[in-house]
Amino acid sequence: MNNTTYMGLEIAMRGLYSAQRGMANVAHNVDNVNTPGYSRQMLVQTAAHPLLVANGTGMLGTGSDVIGVERVRDIYLNEKYWGEAQYYGEWSVKATIIEDMQTIYNEPSENGYTKIISDFFSALQTLSTNPSDLSVRAMVKEKAVSVAKYFNSVAKHFDLLQEDLNQMVNAKVEEINNLADQIRELNLQIYNVEVMGNKANDLRDKRDYLVDKLSKLVNINAYEVETGLKLPNGEKETRFVVTISGKALVDHNTVCHLKCESREQKLNEEDIDNLFDVSWEDGNKLNLKSGELKAYIDMRDGNDGLPGLNGENSPDCKGIPYYQRKMNEFVRTFAMALNEGIMDSDGDGVLDKTFGHVDGYTLNGTTPSGIRLFTMLNEYGEYMSSADFMAMAEKIGVQEGITYDPLTDEYDARLLRAYRNITARNFCISFDIENDPSENISASLAPGQAGNNENINNLLKIRHNTYLFMEGTPEDFIKTVVSSMGVDGQQYEQYLDVQEGIINQLENRRQSISGVSLNEEMVNLVKYQQIYGAAATIIRTFGEVLDILVNRLGI
Amino acid sequence: MKLKIQGRNYAPADREREYMRITNNMLINNMMLSLSDNLSRTQKYQTQLATGKKISLPSDDPIVAAKALKLRTDVAEIQQYKRNTDDATAWMDITEATMNQMTEVIHRLKELTNQAANGTNTPDELEKIKEEVSQLKKQMINLGNATYAGRYIFSGYKTDKKLLNDDGTFSIDIANSEQIRFEIGIGDDININVPGSDLFGSSVSETAGTKSKMIDTFDKVIDALENNPDQLTNLLADIDDDLNNLLRVRAGLGARMNRVELTANRLEDDNVNFTRLMSKNEDVDIAEAIMNLMNEENVYRASLATGARVIQPSLVDFLG
Repeated sequence: MNNTTYMGLEIAMRGLYSAQRGMANVAHNVDNVNTPGYSRQMLVQTAAHPLLVANGTGMLGTGSDVIGVERVRDIYLNEKYWGEAQYYGEWSVKATIIEDMQTIYNEPSENGYTKIISDFFSALQTLSTNPSDLSVRAMVKEKAVSVAKYFNSVAKHFDLLQEDLNQMVNAKVEEINNLADQIRELNLQIYNVEVMGNKANDLRDKRDYLVDKLSKLVNINAYEVETGLKLPNGEKETRFVVTISGKALVDHNTVCHLKCESREQKLNEEDIDNLFDVSWEDGNKLNLKSGELKAYIDMRDGNDGLPGLNGENSPDCKGIPYYQRKMNEFVRTFAMALNEGIMDSDGDGVLDKTFGHVDGYTLNGTTPSGIRLFTMLNEYGEYMSSADFMAMAEKIGVQEGITYDPLTDEYDARLLRAYRNITARNFCISFDIENDPSENISASLAPGQAGNNENINNLLKIRHNTYLFMEGTPEDFIKTVVSSMGVDGQQYEQYLDVQEGIINQLENRRQSISGVSLNEEMVNLVKYQQIYGAAATIIRTFGEVLDILVNRLGI
Repeated sequence: MKLKIQGRNYAPADREREYMRITNNMLINNMMLSLSDNLSRTQKYQTQLATGKKISLPSDDPIVAAKALKLRTDVAEIQQYKRNTDDATAWMDITEATMNQMTEVIHRLKELTNQAANGTNTPDELEKIKEEVSQLKKQMINLGNATYAGRYIFSGYKTDKKLLNDDGTFSIDIANSEQIRFEIGIGDDININVPGSDLFGSSVSETAGTKSKMIDTFDKVIDALENNPDQLTNLLADIDDDLNNLLRVRAGLGARMNRVELTANRLEDDNVNFTRLMSKNEDVDIAEAIMNLMNEENVYRASLATGARVIQPSLVDFLG
């Protein structure tokens, strides 16, 4: 090709186009400065293909060419971010939930457990100074009711929270499935665009943004795999894969959803009914390592790693079942010690039979009363009487082959089993005490002694029995439970803080590379504007040159 | 804090760029984070001031929380023990006052017996003495049936039943072992009552229907006044026995009252100390919290001011 007359105009034209595209790109970047997940785009501009001049004087430049638009993005940072976001998701959920759990105990406060239990013992103390006073007896009953109601309410709140967390598990699974579907959709769109040799910048940003979201919910790996084929433009064909613990959630155009199914058998005996098990849609077991979904499951099911009823271990985390179990342990041990006097009283790790409420005499009783202060709600939701409780123990004894021989056994082992039926949910005062506290509270250790407070004094000893629980006295027990929850909470918040720092740093690094800088865009705008102006000047100049050629030669 | 992390760690990891590219959204993000950090600290001090407590959840400071629970238990217990010592003191005060009157009654009996025994009394005078001794016996029985808040104080565990019948026999079975014990400290209890058998009887346990030894002395004096005035001198020894027994029991009670009083004083001190500890552990130092709050407020204002200056302008503002 020769150096034609109009070539200069052509070159200047290209300059105009390049500058225009540059300005359009600036506009696109500026418009998307606040679009989440957006990466700034840059023109890929080269010198246009030069002309080989026939007379051997070299190559003639033909202006500039925009050969593509690329997003500025560091894939390594993406992967870093996806690796860290799962922990951020996990700790932010756990830190929030444990805050809720702490408010359930309502400690330290003027109306939490400590207050209620010390009121109960104070009432017993007052009764011990005045065992025959009917109003004091009524007060003891009321304080006993408060103790029972406190545990009922704690258990109820834990139940409600567990139900909420179960719903959240379901919601998170749906969110994951939804994101997986969207990613699949984008995979197809991106493929369709890129198979033609273009770069699907904005669609890729969108997909990365969805993966960002997904990476908080669940531990994922996301990467492009080469298929071994080549695209028409010569680049390698790839497909985008998102895996959870090695199993593909999205593989280019296929998705394997997660599903929630109600459990047939409870994991923990403390659980409410119908909690969801999460698994792969194709029936495979889902293996979670971190993320929000795992956090919800951990807090819902966590029983300190104890083996569950269905043979699987519960999550190694102090979640709701752990605290329910602790509350159950408390009411069972406490009720058995108060009612029966069966407890470890000397620290040898073996239960002993000492005096309990059943061994006392009622106000006008002539034999040991056999009355229990605390029992449980029966199947109709009514306070169970002491006699019914004993009948239940005997029935269990027959069913499970547990026997009791008063002559050789220190205590009735059937009762031990019966107390396992008491939970913080069904814990209540006995029907006998509810019905007639004036008569049935058994303060005395001998018949017909209205001023005998010996049995009350026996019951009061339980308060300072440091062997009652592994954690110590009744009040030590709750102190330990509450402060261990506090320590966990503090730890979760610290983890969250660290993770927030990491995520924030990564986000900043991503922004540093991919974020739109208005200053930069303005500089580019001015640059392109100047180029546009310069190219226009060149056109005018060529116009004038042509004017000379066409009009002034006087042909 | 978070700004520092990002500034410090960026450079070594990045080999190609010599400076960090700072974009508008980074500035905004960082500023938002710092502002929310500031605000959450401000809120912490505000909550402290509003509630007067250092912590509102155990996780704020588990150690303070655990201590708070322990101290609450301690304070509640101390207060209950204080109430118990108050009750014990009241019961023992009544017992002591009653026994004081008993002592006077026996002194009077001794005086009258002495008077009657010196042999110069007319039958009329002896009759009058006898009359007074009968009254003293009745009074002694009444004192033996003294009550505190409706409870018979000498009836051992059977506080709902009186100790003595009008004829001076025991109306109930009673034993010295019927000691009513009040807890006045952890593992520390004290018996607050004087069982009637110890005071009126002659052995460690008495059965209903037997005659009280002390009242029997009264009856012997009356009988002697009536039938055999010569015996009166011999009876003075019996009266002294009764008096000594009474004084012995009173001394025992006095020692116990002393212990209760000491305990009550110690509990009073403990109450003050533990309440102070409790407050020191969980109550907020108002001056410090206000200072912290003001400080946070200043930081907050400063970051708002710098934020406003940094975020707004860009080259956009200066073109054209």
